[in-house]
Amino acid sequence: MPDSPSRSLRLGIAGPVGVGKSSLIATLCRALGDELALGVITNDIYTDEDARFLRSAGVLAPERIRAVETGACPHTAIRDDVTANLLAVEDLEQDFAPLDLVLIESGGDNLTATFSPALVDAQLFVLDVAGGGDVARKGGPGIARADLLIVNKTDLAPHVGVDVSAMVADARTARAGAPVIALSRHDPHSVAQLRAWVLALVDRHRSGDHTPIDPGPMAPHSHAHDDDHDHDAHHEHPHDADDHHDHG
Amino acid sequence: MAPPTDTLVDPATVALLLADGRLPTGGHVSSAGLEPALRGGMPAESIREWMIGRATTVSLTEAGTAVVAAHLARRSPGQNTTAAGLDAVTAAWAARTPSPVQRRLSRQLGRGYVRLATAVWAAAVGDTMNPRGPQPPRSVVLGVIAAAAGIEAASLVRLVVYEEAQAAASAALKLEPQDPLLVAGFVLDACAAAEPHVAAVAACRRPEEIPAASTPQSEGWTQAHSLLTERLFRA
Repeated sequence: MPDSPSRSLRLGIAGPVGVGKSSLIATLCRALGDELALGVITNDIYTDEDARFLRSAGVLAPERIRAVETGACPHTAIRDDVTANLLAVEDLEQDFAPLDLVLIESGGDNLTATFSPALVDAQLFVLDVAGGGDVARKGGPGIARADLLIVNKTDLAPHVGVDVSAMVADARTARAGAPVIALSRHDPHSVAQLRAWVLALVDRHRSGDHTPIDPGPMAPHSHAHDDDHDHDAHHEHPHDADDHHDHG
Repeated sequence: MAPPTDTLVDPATVALLLADGRLPTGGHVSSAGLEPALRGGMPAESIREWMIGRATTVSLTEAGTAVVAAHLARRSPGQNTTAAGLDAVTAAWAARTPSPVQRRLSRQLGRGYVRLATAVWAAAVGDTMNPRGPQPPRSVVLGVIAAAAGIEAASLVRLVVYEEAQAAASAALKLEPQDPLLVAGFVLDACAAAEPHVAAVAACRRPEEIPAASTPQSEGWTQAHSLLTERLFRA
């Protein structure tokens, strides 16, 4: 559990495979490396590919980037049994004290894996436009309740036929107004927005004003338009009429 | 976090908790040496024999380490005299565990168990472990927990053997999928193979009595595995 705001802010980065989590971390390191002392933990399905990518990107000293093996269970390693990650974070914090921010990248898993508050103080959930414009609407714990939702690779939108503003509007609806940033690493304005969000969070963490929240466990399925949906046998929800309804 | 003091948990129940792969102490990152063996070229058809081999060698070294640690912790719970004794157990274990990769993994798993012990058996474990001493492996921490929970030596030996076999079995289903029920049988075969050794290992009292059962082929595989860029398990 988060013990003291004097230690680093631990920020999780979750989201499906291929949405650009590693690249986002590289962007964060470039944007924040001058003013914050950073460390990075990666969780790959096959170990250290992401760590090697980040080291080769040259955005941070290689020894500040560490890979954690997850025993083929990336969702377990950030949720049910965070031990390996927690020890790696503590080691990094000790070896490079004082760190301001540790970024923990989840192994790209699926739409439902989120970090436990036992491991992180806050988390980003990352989607990308290439995954389809309707993904944000489908919801799920990470999309709905992560501290920040990133709609990544907006520069690709014209090539994949996705309306970014509609996707972001869907995301804001799914999140009941919680923050969403449409990001492209080639768009300095969007990177500045992300940078400002993280710096504000670091400030709140330091002043003790930030309370970690749990986005919620993996859901077997999600319903887009009815948050109070009753899962009992007697529900009167018109399943046949609801074409937007998604069983994932 | 401490259990209510007026409730006694049977030691057998604590042993079940410790043997449960779902216990959140970081065990899921270990294949107990199986991934290194398979990546080193051992055929999948040999998994059962390999598990039996491990249960009658390395697992007994781990078990003996836990037994001696438990004996020391039982004699002087929570006292500083124990810390020096446990450091000697850790040294004896390290001398019998030639692979640096294996030692690092066991110490990492030991840290996971220290977290558990601190949360659940804080009063009994107290300052038994020397924070400035050598990092204890899982088997030493397990011994301290066993002493606090009242788990007797023979049960502790069986617990260690079972836990290692089950870790390999779980990993086998991810690495070389086959009938999971068949693999469950391998776990029992491994435990059965260790059974004739249980009494002798449970009788260990001093660090020098811990069985020294090195497996050079597996240790070589473990070292080589740590250099691969693609692997699912720590070792």
